[in-house]
Amino acid sequence: MHDFNFIQPKSAAAAADALAGAEDGQYMAGGQTLIPVLKQRLAMPTDVVDLSAIPGLAGIEVSGGAVRVGAMTTHAAVAASGAVRDAVPALAHLAGLIGDPHVRNRGTLGGSIANNDPAADYPAAVLGLGATVVTESREIAADDFFTDLFETALDDGELVTRVDFPVPDAAAYVKFPNPASRYAIVGVFVSRAGGAVRVAVTGAGPCVFRQAEMEAALSAEFSAEAIAGVAIAADDLNNDLHASAEYRAHLVGVMARRAVAEIA
Amino acid sequence: MNKVSFGDTVRRAEDHRFLTGKGNYIDDITMPGQAHGVVVRSPYAHARINGFDADAARRAPGVLLVVTGADWAAQGFGPIPTKSAVKENRDGTPIAVPDRPCLAHDRVRYVGEGVAFIVAETRDQARDAAELLDVDYAPMDAVTHPVKALEPGAPQLHDGIADNLCVDWELGDAEATEAAMRAADRIVRLELHNNRVTGAPIEPRGAIASYDAGTDSYLMYQATQNIHANRNTTAEILGIEADKIRHVGPDVGGGFGAKNSVYPEPALVLHAAKTLNRPVKWVNDRAESFLSDTHGRSQYSTVELGVDDDGTFRALRTTTVGELGAYCGTVGAFTPTGGSARTQGGPYGFEAMYYSARAGFTNTAPLDPYRGAGRPEGSFQIERIVEKAARELGIDPVELRRKNLIPKERLPLKTAMGLDVDCGDFPTVFEQALAMTDRVGFQARKAASEAAGKRLGFAIAPYLECTGGMPKEHAVVTFTADGSAHLAVGSQSTGMGHETALPQILAATLGLDMARIGFTQADTDATPLGGGHGGSRGMEMGGNAVLQTAGEIIEKGRAIAAHLFETDVDKIDFEDGSFFEKDTNHIASMTEIIAASFDPERLPDGMEPGSLNTGSTFERGIISIPNGCHAAEVEVDPDTGAIAVTGFWVVDDFGTIINPMLADGQVMGGVGQGLGQALMENAVYDEASGQLVTGSLIDYALPRADDMPPMTLEYYEGAPTKKNPLGVKGAGEAGCCGAPPAIVNAVLDALDGLGVTHIEMPLTPEAVWRAIDAAGS
Ligand SMILES: Cc1cc2nc3c(=O)[nH]c(=O)nc-3n(C[C@H](O)[C@H](O)[C@H](O)COP(=O)(O)OP(=O)(O)OC[C@H]3O[C@@H](n4cnc5c(N)ncnc54)[C@H](O)[C@@H]3O)c2cc1C
Repeated sequence: MHDFNFIQPKSAAAAADALAGAEDGQYMAGGQTLIPVLKQRLAMPTDVVDLSAIPGLAGIEVSGGAVRVGAMTTHAAVAASGAVRDAVPALAHLAGLIGDPHVRNRGTLGGSIANNDPAADYPAAVLGLGATVVTESREIAADDFFTDLFETALDDGELVTRVDFPVPDAAAYVKFPNPASRYAIVGVFVSRAGGAVRVAVTGAGPCVFRQAEMEAALSAEFSAEAIAGVAIAADDLNNDLHASAEYRAHLVGVMARRAVAEIA
Repeated sequence: MNKVSFGDTVRRAEDHRFLTGKGNYIDDITMPGQAHGVVVRSPYAHARINGFDADAARRAPGVLLVVTGADWAAQGFGPIPTKSAVKENRDGTPIAVPDRPCLAHDRVRYVGEGVAFIVAETRDQARDAAELLDVDYAPMDAVTHPVKALEPGAPQLHDGIADNLCVDWELGDAEATEAAMRAADRIVRLELHNNRVTGAPIEPRGAIASYDAGTDSYLMYQATQNIHANRNTTAEILGIEADKIRHVGPDVGGGFGAKNSVYPEPALVLHAAKTLNRPVKWVNDRAESFLSDTHGRSQYSTVELGVDDDGTFRALRTTTVGELGAYCGTVGAFTPTGGSARTQGGPYGFEAMYYSARAGFTNTAPLDPYRGAGRPEGSFQIERIVEKAARELGIDPVELRRKNLIPKERLPLKTAMGLDVDCGDFPTVFEQALAMTDRVGFQARKAASEAAGKRLGFAIAPYLECTGGMPKEHAVVTFTADGSAHLAVGSQSTGMGHETALPQILAATLGLDMARIGFTQADTDATPLGGGHGGSRGMEMGGNAVLQTAGEIIEKGRAIAAHLFETDVDKIDFEDGSFFEKDTNHIASMTEIIAASFDPERLPDGMEPGSLNTGSTFERGIISIPNGCHAAEVEVDPDTGAIAVTGFWVVDDFGTIINPMLADGQVMGGVGQGLGQALMENAVYDEASGQLVTGSLIDYALPRADDMPPMTLEYYEGAPTKKNPLGVKGAGEAGCCGAPPAIVNAVLDALDGLGVTHIEMPLTPEAVWRAIDAAGS
């Protein structure tokens, strides 16, 4: 690890200032992604701005038809939350599938979506529920938030403070974990709210995406059979040591059908 | 008084320390004034080194010493030798052994090979300096595939070694095997790959050493499995007397073979400690562990079984290509040759067997023993071909195995591979295992599984093992007048529980209180020799050394007792911790005799106070033959290819069981690693770049607790071996022999009817899905 300045601001505004003033600053939430890359000397920020002392960034509230989760809320807190389990059980279930107990007790929602790892779980819930990402300065719709591999709509130094997940009629998340890391090789989040169906796929491509054909088929008839015929093209999918693009394409279908079957 | 016997489940004395974070591992050891060393490692799989520019690194803050490969070469230190027991090719010529320097200076041959050692005040300063070291590399073509490395036109690793070939070797009767093959009704043939894996011990390798200029001697702590041999070899490299180095293995966090080899770093640490006259510590990080630890397995084999239509086995022939990596490791050429040959054929009878192996160099980390060291490869070869034969012949795989197991009446026998099988009862062990598996309930479980869209499969896999490792072991017992004892042994635990099992043997034999026996292992000052850990030798060698030493103590105790009772030694018996004279009321406990042994008044002529202290070297005659039978039930999800091992049963014949809980731990751990190899572990090098693709735990899949099946373990204790006084057969590696074939064959059984006849390990979900897909189209 290279040396860096460690700053622990007491407010979001101070955090933004600290970052703006740094030559090459990085926020740190749970540190589960940041610290390993620091240790491997892959990232060498001049300043690490720790978000853990800022009041109000962690917490869960269900109000106005939405589950509002603070950016600094750990995966373990979401997984264990009775309020989340009552409102959107699939969200609590998803949080409980992330990594291992150590990771779940340190890693945060804000860190996960800001990082936008192609194999991360939360992006599937954010996109699959049509959530709103709230930052210091604005609200960003899920559909606009995840832009590319490890890329988001966040501006430099823009701090995620909260994510508002609308409560759907029903939702399910089915994940095929990577046996080594337990990240998703493919994870599919399906939700139904009124007539609208969302199908969000993580792990399969460079960035979480919605599967429009499945959404259309499910809007017409919400059953696993309805999407049995949807062919997933392997062309743009990830192809790596852990799974080929064809296998991922196949898994998207299987995971989606299983998710639908859970709630149909 | 905490009285123990053989066969008692004595809880592990070491666990409290380990589980509460009080273990004393390399990085826990601090010496006053210590500096920190890091190895600069090659980023290239194959490159010429045109030169080093170390100026910037030398000037970096905190840097104390930079030793480049060129600096090392200029010192004239020796290469790291190989100690392979196979030294000749089939034609009698010597095997090809390239020089392996501790630091490369003119050429690197694998990613992770050391090119410089940098010592600084702190580890981070040493790392910073490492980034400043300029090595002028000229990349060359690399070859990482063991079969392709031997093909014409492959990039060549070593000048003067043709075709990258290290060894070309055979065992068995080729002609008799060919004749028996021809006579058989059919020959079943299978090509298979035994995947390359790495031990991934929880504690990475490391060492810390100090130098004493006054006595020109060293003290080195190292995370190693083999302190005496490694000290001797490291001294040989540096050209110093071995007894100038006190070498200690503190608590060592796992080894599995990967800490058995002699590595470059200890020599670098000793050299730096002397040069700087300061203690120097070096500890690998996890990435370095993946790159620079020895890997294991890696064989491409063709297995042929000559079998009659009624299922009678006639002949077995295995033709294999193994892999050494860039250089010969410490055991080197032996593993894919002799190591794999010995247990060929498993516990089955054959008219003839023949094993033929070639192994060569690749641009990868050196390979050396990994838990089983060739025998799991052999076990996989025979059990896979038997399963395939059963399906080709239309015979129930259970029946085919039952038919060909060597019956008890034929023991002792020498196998066609020269293995001395003295005792055991393979059919009884097989039936005992089968009886545990609830075959009756299987059909109902299978139906339930199918109703859920899954497929259930079952397989049984008997195995034949043999032990190995250093043939001598030493134990020393010293007493204190208050009756307490201290036991030191040269065998070593890297987590297996010797701190419990070996004092248990001493306590049970002498009738001492377990709680009053101290324990030291892995310290060259504590025992004059020691064979460390390897080849499942812990109980066979360490245990017998303790027993033998205890026996000598009893003899001395009888002399003291005879003196006290004023009678003849031959009238003194020892039983249950007490010396007594028959038909009298003369009796003295071991504790009383210990007290007497410190009192000149109470000692017979010729015995000095303290002379009950005893050190003794046990020497093995012939290696023992553990054997047993594994069975697995698996459930396959045909939609995804995912596998769950839903049941696992083991019966082992380890001879006498000293501590069943410790034996269970060995079996479970071995099954875990066998499961890992079968289903997920795979060390993969990119063929084009020679980079290790699975260089972290994010990419190298190790099994976790939730991957482990429910396990039922039993022992067959009807055949203690007479090859050693305890009657034990090694337990450490057996799990790795039985689990891979049991699991793989069970998966193939689950896929029965789909036309899938073989899937290479690891059986990842994608591999299974593809096999189903390919068979269906
Ligand atoms: C062993 C292991 C296994 C894992 N398995 C999984 C898994 O199965 N599924 C999964 O989804 N994830 C997994 N993760 C990732 C983990 O869940 C965390 O979500 C992830 O590491 C990021 O969260 P964090 O709080 O640790 O962020 P940090 O590491 O602290 O930060 C990550 C990045 O986000 C930025 N950042 C953090 N917070 C904010 C914010 N509020 N606003 C703007 N930017 C911010 C930081 O600057 C940094 O660039 C795993 C991680 C590990 C180490």
